[in-house]
Amino acid sequence: MLEFFQNSIDSLSSMHIIIKICIYLSLVLASTIFLSLIYLKNLRDRLKIKRRIEATYQKKYESDLIEYLYAGDDETENEQQQKIVIYLKKCAANRLKRKIIIGTFLKLKNDVSGETADAIQKLYYQTGLIESATSKLKSKKWDVVAKAIRELTQFEIKETHDEIIKLVNHPKKQVRFEIQKYLVQLFRFEGLEFLNIIENELSEWDQIQLLEILNKFKNLQLPDMSDWLRSKNDSVVSFTLKLVRIHNQFGVKDEIIALFNHSNPEIRVEAINLVNHLGIYEAVAILKTGVFERTLEEQIAFFKMMEEMSMPDDIEFIKEHMNHKNFYIRISVMKIMNLITVGDDNTFTINNIAEEYQINTNLTKAS
Amino acid sequence: MNLTKKIVLAEDNSILSKLLQFKLEKEGYQLLIANNGKEAVDLIEDNDPDMILTDIMMPFISGLEVISHVRNKLDRNTPIVVFSSAGQEEMVLNAFNLGATDFMSKPFSPNELIIRIKRLLQ
Repeated sequence: MLEFFQNSIDSLSSMHIIIKICIYLSLVLASTIFLSLIYLKNLRDRLKIKRRIEATYQKKYESDLIEYLYAGDDETENEQQQKIVIYLKKCAANRLKRKIIIGTFLKLKNDVSGETADAIQKLYYQTGLIESATSKLKSKKWDVVAKAIRELTQFEIKETHDEIIKLVNHPKKQVRFEIQKYLVQLFRFEGLEFLNIIENELSEWDQIQLLEILNKFKNLQLPDMSDWLRSKNDSVVSFTLKLVRIHNQFGVKDEIIALFNHSNPEIRVEAINLVNHLGIYEAVAILKTGVFERTLEEQIAFFKMMEEMSMPDDIEFIKEHMNHKNFYIRISVMKIMNLITVGDDNTFTINNIAEEYQINTNLTKAS
Repeated sequence: MNLTKKIVLAEDNSILSKLLQFKLEKEGYQLLIANNGKEAVDLIEDNDPDMILTDIMMPFISGLEVISHVRNKLDRNTPIVVFSSAGQEEMVLNAFNLGATDFMSKPFSPNELIIRIKRLLQ
């Protein structure tokens, strides 16, 4: 054996330098692969063990939770329930076990309502998990804070409202979004109070999500939206305009008219679109004055609005723009004059036209 | 002769299954639990239950397929209550078209479910 190694070393030393380098590199690579395999095997074993431990604990906590709920059917809180509370409280001190307990509670809470859901929430309080989540709100790690807020939302914990609202302008958008969801999910329209103090932008996606949550709640008293329409935060104004549209808030018509002069052109267009939706007739005359000093998008929105809102007095004004250079304006004018009919598939047919209203067919065909 | 009414529950949430088992057994029913649609079909074929409770979304065979199997292949009129989640309205309509008797939207109250079961089994 020793001789074999000696011969190998001798032959290696007599080899060309390139072959030597290749052999050394192969040896390094082989050892790296070997060590990686050992490491991965070890990692896989550890993960397997962890999963097994988690599954065992989960099964145990599921049984405990069912036992707790079953014992609770006897109306009065009994000794057995107390024992389970003490046991789970003790387990919750450990991070892994706490995570499994919370997961177990949520697994059932997401599927049940009524007394059973209330009992799970009560157990959440009794096991001290609420204190653990609340303490995380002070964490410097944004993901810890976001997860804690999500947990408090899932368990519908309203008591932490004052602490959570303080974080509404958190630098991380993920945390801000969890806060917004917490407020709207638990306090519904009252939760929209955060719109008064939010300084950051409310993204379109966030707005859609919040509207989706609010859509679940019917027959609720709506808050006054005037202040939000006067907000300096454009995204708040934009979100409020969506709320106004969905909930037909005619009461804020003065604020909508004021938005015709907003610095953000998108908000101006959205405000014009709302005029038709809410039927604010007094806004038509305001918009008609100086409509051509506005952006093209606003002009298009104005004529689109006039398709529904125009009165006989407006015909003379509208007629003047029958051959407007913009296609959309031209189509709106012709629709108002009842010169064309637009079908569901966006094709249009030209109706019988009085001689005085001659359409520039070249322009129409070209469009 | 055993007069205990048999109910097959097809539900992949193990803890919800356990909870319903406790509740229904307390009311005097025998509950047979399936973790997926395939197990449910086997339990139904072997036990001829008096009622079937099934979640719509399940691994292997969905709740809709379970209903179809009971109504079309086994040709049985066993009452079937479907559990649905938010956003599954279309599937609930399909379940009714296939012959489901009733549905409950998750999250639901277990006590309300028991009342419905009692009414349907009367």
